Amino acid sequence: MNKKTLVNLISVTLSVLITVLIVFVFLLILGKDPFEIFGMIFSEVFADGYGIGQTLFKATPLIFISCGLAVCFHASLFNIGAEGQLNAGSFVIALTALKLDFLPVPLVTISSLIFGFIVSGFFGLIPAYIKIKKDVSEVITTIMMNFVILALVNYFLLDFFAVQSTMRTEKINEELMFLKISDVLPFFDGSTLNSSFILAILAAVLTYLFIYKTGFGYKLRSVGFNELASKYLGIRTNGVILISFFIGAGITAFAGMNYIFGYKGFYEFGFSNNIGFTAIAVTLLAKNNPIGIIFSSLLFAILDYGGLSVNQLIPKELMLVVQGIIILSLLAVDKIVSNYFKEKLI
Amino acid sequence: MDLITSVISLGFVAQVLRLMTPFYLGASAANFSERGGVINISVEGFMNLSAFSFAVISILTGNITAGFILAVLINLLFSIVFGYFTVSLKINQIVTGVGFNLFIAGLTKFLLVYIFSSSSNTPRFEGLPEFTLFSSIPFFGLFLTDYITLFCFLLIFISAYILFKTRFGLRLRSAGENPAAGESLGIKIRNYRYYGILICGFLSAMAGIWMASNQNSYSDGMIAGRGYIALAAMIIGKWKPVNIFFACLMFSAFEAFEISLQITGSDIPSQLIQMLPYFITILVLIGFIGKTKPPAADGVPY
Repeated sequence: MNKKTLVNLISVTLSVLITVLIVFVFLLILGKDPFEIFGMIFSEVFADGYGIGQTLFKATPLIFISCGLAVCFHASLFNIGAEGQLNAGSFVIALTALKLDFLPVPLVTISSLIFGFIVSGFFGLIPAYIKIKKDVSEVITTIMMNFVILALVNYFLLDFFAVQSTMRTEKINEELMFLKISDVLPFFDGSTLNSSFILAILAAVLTYLFIYKTGFGYKLRSVGFNELASKYLGIRTNGVILISFFIGAGITAFAGMNYIFGYKGFYEFGFSNNIGFTAIAVTLLAKNNPIGIIFSSLLFAILDYGGLSVNQLIPKELMLVVQGIIILSLLAVDKIVSNYFKEKLI
Repeated sequence: MDLITSVISLGFVAQVLRLMTPFYLGASAANFSERGGVINISVEGFMNLSAFSFAVISILTGNITAGFILAVLINLLFSIVFGYFTVSLKINQIVTGVGFNLFIAGLTKFLLVYIFSSSSNTPRFEGLPEFTLFSSIPFFGLFLTDYITLFCFLLIFISAYILFKTRFGLRLRSAGENPAAGESLGIKIRNYRYYGILICGFLSAMAGIWMASNQNSYSDGMIAGRGYIALAAMIIGKWKPVNIFFACLMFSAFEAFEISLQITGSDIPSQLIQMLPYFITILVLIGFIGKTKPPAADGVPY
């Protein structure tokens, strides 16, 4: 283990510990017993296959989106537009699956995923293009794009494709639905965990290999580290920015796979529930490492699902506060820890 | 009443001017922060926080003054923490902003359910007292109906004066344009960046308080992107108080138009009107309507 990994591990662990401490104090102030609440969360999540299954189910979209964000972040592209990108892609996934259902099943699945990827990726290309042509920060454009995309999706959904007086598309063909894991492993009985989770793990591994073990991944990290130096090395930085934004935004579309193919069978406006922003926290906590993302997604999923189980004692929205504290304490601890180690080196 | 007559009326213009209040306050808030060199994309969160604390404290204590003062103080406290992150610790300002937005959104959602057992809104409350001085004057009486709106219109001149005619303004701008040069002249750059962030916290508190007071309650998600529209107005207004005013006017005109659409039941899709502010901002950024240039050291930790 090299020194950088060690420093990263120390700061991630410290910030999680600090978060726990802050939340404990917060709960004590509110007059609740923190041990009871945290005990309940863990006993609910790990009690049976259902709890574990639901947690993995909730982690699935987070893993996909965060992998996409990691690609962008490695190229120093601060993509805050995942919420919009993933909705555009997911909407198209559902539409393709509905419109092409005369084709054989595997072909429908594959083509809807590809179309979803392309559409999400296209909406990533716009801020990338504005960045390289006009030197405008992708932060502002992706924020604005979120609103534009959500309004467009809402318009097309409600005016052309929605089932009367709902916010959702029609249901896709039953044959297209992914395999429920509980059909193979009865341990997960009752949970909505489906084969999307396996694909998510696969996506994380592939993203890891893509970023760290391919030539393009090297260029991407190089541009992220020092754009000017990369240019002098002969890397076509503009191309790298365009491609990484396209791929990064494209992957976020797969968040819809879990919901559409694995769970409900339709696209519903608002299904994402700001998960595109939560994924930013997940990615930062994982230090942009796709393998780390699997674990930080699991942590956030435990909080999410565990929150439901303690809802009797304390509103489940507590977990949103916990997620907020994690990200803020991570930012602060990270800086303090890395400053400390730098001083020690000199 | 059809759409055209409802839009071409004095009432519509007054509506536009009144709806501009949160946009201009938010844009001005972000402008003071960015003039000092700190990008603050959590204006949205800060507006949300102050709307929440104003409504909740007013309801719980039954005292609007207490609600107002504490809401401002809470925003200033959060601003100091934001400053500690971005100025003292020099953490990436965008990431900090995203973090604050997530944290504040979670905190307000949680406390709303915890205190009122409702995931959507608080009970109704009185709101700020009306400003009656102009109420008998024909046109002005229609939109200058509360103290914050009045303050907002004065702010156009106040902020232009502070930024460009005072020593404080010059020093604040030096923190955003060329901090090293400022520092070499003995200006305490970090302090000025904190001042910018604190003014930002105060003005976004005004925006949030106006929102809650105007609606006579707090509801989850009530800011609905106005903080981001404010950022857009600041960019389109090229970081200049008077230009920002015109950008805000355009955005509040869209909002008033959208309300007219709903009232008159026109078949123009409202989603497309809703997305116009953001769409226009992107067009401006691409360079269709002149070039915009942020303060040179905007977003660069110092």
